[in-house]
Parts: sequence; C-alpha cells; structure tokens
Amino acid sequence: MAKKSKGYKDTKLEEKLKDRYFRTSESHPDFLEKVEEISKTIPHMCYQCGTCTGSCPSAPRSSYRIRYFVRRAVLGLEEEQLTDPDLWLCTTCYSCTDRCPRDIAPTDVIMACRNLAYQRGIVPVNFLKTVQAIYSSGHGVPNNDANRAARKRLGLTADPPTTHMYPEYIKGIQKILDHYKIKEQADKIVAEAEKK
Amino acid sequence: MVDITSEKNPRIGVFVCHCGTNIAGSIDVKDVVEYAKTLPNVVHAEDYQYVCSTPGQKKIEDAIKEKNLTGTVVAACSPRLHEPTFRRATQEGGLNPYRFEMANIREQNSWVHMHEKEEATAKAKDAVRIAVAKASLLQDLKPKFVDVEPAALVVGAGVAGMQAALDLANAGIKTYLIEKNPTIGGRMSQLDKTFPTLDCSQCILTPKMVEVGRNENIELMTYSEVEEVDGFIGNFSVKIRKKARGVLTPDEAEAKGIVGGGCNGCGDCEAVCPVIKPNPFEMGMKPRKAIYIYHPQVVPLIYTVDFDSCIKCGLCQTACGEKKAIDLEMQDEFVDLKVGTVVLALGYDIFPVEKKTEWGYKQFDNVVTSLEFERLICASGPTGGHLIRPSDGATPKRIGFVLCAGSRDNTGIGKPYCSRFCCMYSLKHAHQIIEKIPGAVPYIFYMDIRSFGKMYEEFYYRIQDEGAKFIRGRVSNILEDPATKNLHVYAEDTLLGRPVDVELDMVVLAAAVQPSAETEKTRRLFGVSCSQDGWLLEAHPKLNPCGTTTAGVYVAGVCQGPKDIPDTVAQAEGAASAASIPIHLGKVELEPYFAQCIEEKCAGCGMCVNLCPYQALSLVEKDGRKVMQVTEAKCKGCGTCGAYCPGGAIWMQHFTTPQIIAQIDAFLVGGEQ
Ligand SMILES: Cc1cc2nc3c(=O)[nH]c(=O)nc-3n(C[C@H](O)[C@H](O)[C@H](O)COP(=O)(O)OP(=O)(O)OC[C@H]3O[C@@H](n4cnc5c(N)ncnc54)[C@H](O)[C@@H]3O)c2cc1C
Ligand code: SF4
Ligand code: SF4
Ligand code: SF4
Ligand code: SF4
Repeated sequence: MAKKSKGYKDTKLEEKLKDRYFRTSESHPDFLEKVEEISKTIPHMCYQCGTCTGSCPSAPRSSYRIRYFVRRAVLGLEEEQLTDPDLWLCTTCYSCTDRCPRDIAPTDVIMACRNLAYQRGIVPVNFLKTVQAIYSSGHGVPNNDANRAARKRLGLTADPPTTHMYPEYIKGIQKILDHYKIKEQADKIVAEAEKK
Repeated sequence: MVDITSEKNPRIGVFVCHCGTNIAGSIDVKDVVEYAKTLPNVVHAEDYQYVCSTPGQKKIEDAIKEKNLTGTVVAACSPRLHEPTFRRATQEGGLNPYRFEMANIREQNSWVHMHEKEEATAKAKDAVRIAVAKASLLQDLKPKFVDVEPAALVVGAGVAGMQAALDLANAGIKTYLIEKNPTIGGRMSQLDKTFPTLDCSQCILTPKMVEVGRNENIELMTYSEVEEVDGFIGNFSVKIRKKARGVLTPDEAEAKGIVGGGCNGCGDCEAVCPVIKPNPFEMGMKPRKAIYIYHPQVVPLIYTVDFDSCIKCGLCQTACGEKKAIDLEMQDEFVDLKVGTVVLALGYDIFPVEKKTEWGYKQFDNVVTSLEFERLICASGPTGGHLIRPSDGATPKRIGFVLCAGSRDNTGIGKPYCSRFCCMYSLKHAHQIIEKIPGAVPYIFYMDIRSFGKMYEEFYYRIQDEGAKFIRGRVSNILEDPATKNLHVYAEDTLLGRPVDVELDMVVLAAAVQPSAETEKTRRLFGVSCSQDGWLLEAHPKLNPCGTTTAGVYVAGVCQGPKDIPDTVAQAEGAASAASIPIHLGKVELEPYFAQCIEEKCAGCGMCVNLCPYQALSLVEKDGRKVMQVTEAKCKGCGTCGAYCPGGAIWMQHFTTPQIIAQIDAFLVGGEQ
C-alpha cells in the first residue's frame, strides 16, 4: 500500500509527516522464502541483537544497518529492501557472519537480496561496470601497473596465472556470462540508467 | 516358582478415550470402538470423553464387575503419566492391577497424524488389536518390596547440597554430605552481595555452613569424591575416596593417640610454607601456600596440603609442633557407605569465555569475568574490596557490563541457553560500583533484561534510577588502546539504530555457565541422564522436577540447569523432601517386571549372568545342579537375558514370549492366535 501523505506544499514537511505505519498488507510473505532459499541462511531466527551492525566496517561511515536488512527480510518488506541504495554498501567482509550469535549469515542475506534486486534491474551502475570488466578482462578488478610492480618486488610474475596470463580463456568466461544473460542484463540496466 | 499357564477364557474390556480433541479430533473414536467389539475375547467396548477422569475410571471398575472381565485395555495417551491411574481403576474393579494394557493412540498416533483422520483411525485399530492380544494373556503379578537403608547421601556441598543435607538431617535422617573441595559453600561463598536484597552472601551462608558442620545427623566428608556406586533405590552402596589431605582433624589425631592434637586452623604452617600458588577461590588473584585454606570462614577449619605443589620440606610440620597435625605421607582412603537415597547437587562452572576471542578475555588485562568482579569488589577479596583495574591498579570510573557473554549463542562456541542469573547480578554489580566509587558510571550492554523473579523488576527499576546506562545491543567486539589500556567496546545501540564505540576503563563479561567438571563422571556413576547441554535431567520438567529416571536419585541446584539462589534452595528443599519419603516409609515397591528363571529349563550355562548390565543374575546350587537366580531388586526388566537364553529358561514377567508373539501375530495376521 502506498504511504499516505497529507498534501502539504512544503516537500520537506510532507516527507516528515508521511504515514509511516508498517501494515501487514505491505509484507510479501514469499520474499523471506526467496531470500532463505538463495542465501541458505536463517534470518527468521534473528533476535535483533545488533552484533552484525556493531561488527560492520561500513555501518559507522554510512546509513547502512545490516540488522535492518535482516529484519525487513523477516517482515517481507521486499520493495523497501530491494530499492534501498544501502543494499550495495556491504563490503562482504563477513565480520557480521563470523560473530552473529544466532549463527545467521547476514552477509548472505544481503547477497541474496542483491540477486533479487538484480533480477528486477535494480543495481547501481558502478556495480555493473564490474560485470563489464569481467566480461572483457576476466577480472572484477583488472591488474594495473602499481600492482604489477608490487608483484615483481615480491618475486611473483607481473600478472597472476589467471586470464591476465592466459587471455585465451577469456572466451570461456564470456560464454558463462552469456549463458546466464548477465552481460545482456547489465548492458540493459546501464543503458536505461544513462538514458535518464 | 513361575506359573506359565495363561488364562483359559479371557474376557477383555476396551475403553477408548477422546482426550478432548487431542484424540477425537483426528481419530474416529466410535469407529474404533465398533472395531474393538469384533476382536477375539473382547466382551465390552466403549468410548468416553476423558477416561482418566473420576467417572471414566468408574466406567472401568463397573465394566469389570458387570462383565466379569479378566483384563482391561485403555486406548489413550502415554502410559508414562496415566498407567498408574488405570491400574488403580483395574484394581478397584477387583482385578490384579497388572491385568491392564495401554494402547497409546495419542502421542504415537493422533498427534503425529493430525491431518490424516482415516489413516490415523486405521492405526488406532491396529494399536487396540495388539493391546487386546496382549491383555488376553496377562497374568496376576505381585510387586516386590525392598527395605530402605535409613540414610541419605548428598553429593556436592554448595548452597543446594547444604540445604538438602540440612533438611534431611532435620527430618531425622542420617545424611552423608560429600564435597570435593576442602570446604563447603560452593560458588555462593565466592559472591559478595546477593540480588535483589543485597545481603552479604557470606553473612547469610556462614550460619548455614556452621550448622552443617555441627548437625549431629550430618556426616560431612570434604575433600572427598564418589568412586564407585552399586545397588538400587533403598540399597545403594557407595565407595568414597577421601583424598589425602595431609592434615589430621582433632578427631583423627585423637584416634591415633595424639592427645590434644590435630589441626585447629591456627595457620602457623601456612606462615612458613615456601611454596606460592594462586588461590582458585580468589579466581587466582590472590596467592596461597602449598598448605592452605581458601578463606577464613571455611568449614571445616582444617588446612589442606596440595601435594601437587608441596616440596615436602617439612617446615610446616616443625611449625605445627605438638599438635602433630601434619602428615606428609598421608594416602587416599576409601570409605564404604550404605544409603537408601541420593541427592546430586554438583553445581556449575564458568564457561571459558576466552573462546569468544572477539571480547579479548585473557588478551586484555582490563577485561574480567563477573566471578572475578565478585572477588574484586568483596571486602574479603584480594584487594580488600577496592575495585581496581588489573592493568595499573587505578580505580575504574567507566565500567562496561557485557551480558549474554556466551549465553543464548547458537554458534557452537557458546551455550544456546540463557544462564538465568547474569542479568540480575550485572544489575547488582552496577549498583555496587555506583555505591562504592563516586562518579562511576556503569554501561550495561544487554539484549533483554530478564528480571523475572519476585522483586527483581523493582530492582531493575532501582538500578536504572541510580544512573546506570543501558545500551540495548550485544557487544560485537572489544579493542584495547595499547597506550592507556582503556577498552573500546563496539556494539549497535539498536534502539538508536547507530553503532557505538564506548571507551571504558574496564569491562566485565557476564560469562555463560556450564555443568561443573565432575558432573559427567558422577552422573554416570549414578546412572542419571543429562540433557544435550550436560545438565542433569529431571524425571519430568513440570511434574517431577527433583526426581531423575534412576529411582532413589534426586537433583538439586544449578546442576539441573541454571538457577539463582532462591530457586536453588527451593529445589534443594524439594529434593530433600523427595529423598526422605522412601526412607520414612522404610520400604519401596518395585514393579514386578523382573526376569524369572524356569528352573526345569535352565541348563546352568551361566551365559546370561555376564550379559546382564545390572549384575542381577548369579548361578546357585539347587538340588545338586547349577541354576540361574535373579536378584529381583536389581533387575530392571531390560530383557537382555530373556532374549538371549538358548533354552528359553528365562521368563520376562509382563513381557512374556507368548504375550509378545501374540502382539506380533495380532499386528501381522489380524488377531487370530
Ligand atoms: C558472578 C555470579 C554472581 C551471582 N550472584 C548471585 C546473586 O546475587 N544472587 C543469586 O541468587 N544468585 C547469584 N548467582 C548464582 C549462584 O551462584 C547459584 O545460584 C548458586 O551458587 C548455586 O548453588 P549450587 O549449590 O547449585 O552450586 P555450586 O555453588 O556450584 O555448588 C556445587 C558444589 O558441588 C561440589 N561438587 C561438584 N561436583 C562434585 C562431585 N562430583 N563430588 C563432590 N562435590 C562436587 C562443588 O565443589 C561445589 O562446592 C551468581 C552467580 C555468578 C556466577
Ligand atoms: S547479529 Fe545475527 S541475531 Fe544479531 S541482529 Fe544481526 S543477524 Fe540478527
Ligand atoms: S559482511 Fe557486509 S554487512 Fe557484514 S560486516 Fe561486512 S560489510 Fe558489514
Ligand atoms: S540472564 Fe540475562 S545476560 Fe544472562 S544469558 Fe540470560 S538474558 Fe543473557
Ligand atoms: S532382564 Fe535385564 S536387568 Fe533383568 S536380569 Fe535380565 S538382563 Fe538383567
């Protein structure tokens, strides 16, 4: 259900006085099911202790609260969850997962939600640039000169034994990405974002 | 002698219970009754709303009389609770109470097949048919009575064991109280004050300790452990190991002919002993010698030599002089006791909270456990009651209390259960620092405050009012500032929805608790079960919270599960009461489910003797040949011997071969025998 407003002219005030009730009608019961199926973890066991947020290196620097994402999954708040830009602030460091006393993997809840958001085309463009980077180089973060120098200093080859060393395998990676239509979907979202 | 003839003309009555909708909701009860009427030997069948009710029982009695029944079957719930009820009703009707058989169509049927009415009804019919087949072959049995040794044993002398021993002793029962430590008192004697009344713990405990030491009916054995257990309710034989203490009591000295000798607790020995060790009573924060007492109020007031660290220099013996109390060559001794009943009060240990590495216990000096805090704040503790930071001895002003430190933790590292007293003692600790240290602020990191007891919520209110800061969030990690040794405590204030970084002088971890180290070994000796977490298992969580599945063995205090002092004492009084009943009755009834030897068939091979897990069997001479004999009071009716005997010479009462075969036939071929 749409959040009701009172029709004030001042947009700031309007936002402030918006109806903020949580109504059960907002909840998509199958959302939790989907999240649990993809994440293979048990957000419904969360007792909201906040250990995850307390552990999170992202939380003190942003409005990102991993605990809220676990909670919203439980309540089935699909729209709010998938459209929240904070969904993309997790560094996937797994600190929260290491410490959650309920043995939940909050990181994997986030990853599942990112998957679901992606299916609906809700992804920040900079993330999709990663897809394109992988497609062209086989790497999310391709090697650079500084890295090459550092590797040499450590007695390693300048390029790692990946597609950087064996570019002939890039084709295989592209095949996989094409099979799942990842590149296609990424290009589509980027194109739409650029249109706006 | 065994009578193996079975009833010639069985007449069975069947009573099918609705148990409200528990059974009738998923089983067509009427249909089951109609079916029962068609079974061989059934001369009466009816259903009733609640067969266990008074009118329900009356129906059984009446039917036995009117229809001249030889056996009864009730199709209802689990025999665990109601078998005695229906047996009594069968007896009231004029039959032997063992001519009753139960078909469990609730736990094993309606509850598990809640939404499959047709199948559940069919299964209920099977269960009734099987029960009728057995009931047709049931025999009169007579329970056995055994005499009860008029003495009780209490293992563990914390507040639970002490209370149980005092109650038993005051009820006129000779009671042995065994404690593995050199003194009684348990954990409670390590506490400073107790919530919510803030009584000084030792002040309310010492009078009880003294009473235990003085009570004529209590034989106190400290520094002792249970070594072996044999027997059964009424007749336990227990071997106690009295660990070599190296010091004689005045009584022991007198027995050795040393007039006026033995230890009087003067401490002259301690003064000269050159060995220094940490005192475990003070959580290692205070030294003790190789010859030591834990604290000045110990009962009995006798020194103990720690032979693991003693270098046998003999200085103590010289210092002791004419009292001749010290014997450095003393060996462990064994004492055999005969008791009728037993109370286990084995208490608890603190969970090794360093396993949760993120909180820095044993890494950072200023992170301590709550039990260490109790000693640090206690006037008789290592610092004379001045709370100090371990790193520099400074008085801490900002102190954090981390609740659920390892409790309510499903990761496999901590404990899944609530430790039940840490919320309350952390409130108490917060109060103590506000009271003792001007300007001190306690920060309580909590998930829930569980202040469930009488006057507990009021105590919470009071501490909140005194200025404690409550942060609703579990601590994620603690880091130390290496320069100041101050601690940064990280959590989310879940009510603000913001991560917090609270800089504190000291942090106290309310660590989870776990069963004490000796619990596992001791419970096995007594054949008592434990829950998944290792706490001793009560016979029934609601209706028999002090009993265990081993008749005659009872539990009290934290060894059964975390509980505070009021609950511990209440349970100890319950356990003492339960343990005193068989002793006051003087005899106990044993169910007649024991094995019997059919002597004509017994070849005297003796194979069964070694198979019996309860040592109930032996070979005896009879009429010039060897036959097996059952000590009925030891037999638990497990059936191992009966199933084994190649000659079929063992008769399992109430579970005879013909009865079991009839049940199998009834199931497989529908009741024809
Ligand atoms: C930091 C802290 C503060 C607390 N504060 C409070 C408070 O303020 N108020 C309150 O109500 N509760 C408090 N409690 C809880 C309280 O300590 C317990 O409720 C109480 O001590 C339980 O007593 P118990 O006799 O069951 O166990 P214990 O005190 O552990 O006693 C068990 C005894 O059995 C002995 N033993 C164990 N195994 C054997 C064996 N095999 N053979 C012989 N002897 C054996 C042990 O040596 C010990 O003496 C606190 C607990 C902690 C950790
Ligand atoms: S740490 Fe685990 S239990 Fe605690 S709030 Fe986060 S997800 Fe929930
Ligand atoms: S995995 Fe993500 S949510 Fe969890 S602590 Fe790391 S950054 Fe935060
Ligand atoms: S008593 Fe309180 S602090 Fe202790 S485990 Fe239970 S909830 Fe946590
Ligand atoms: S039935 Fe079990 S306990 Fe009884 S004598 Fe046979 S083996 Fe021993």
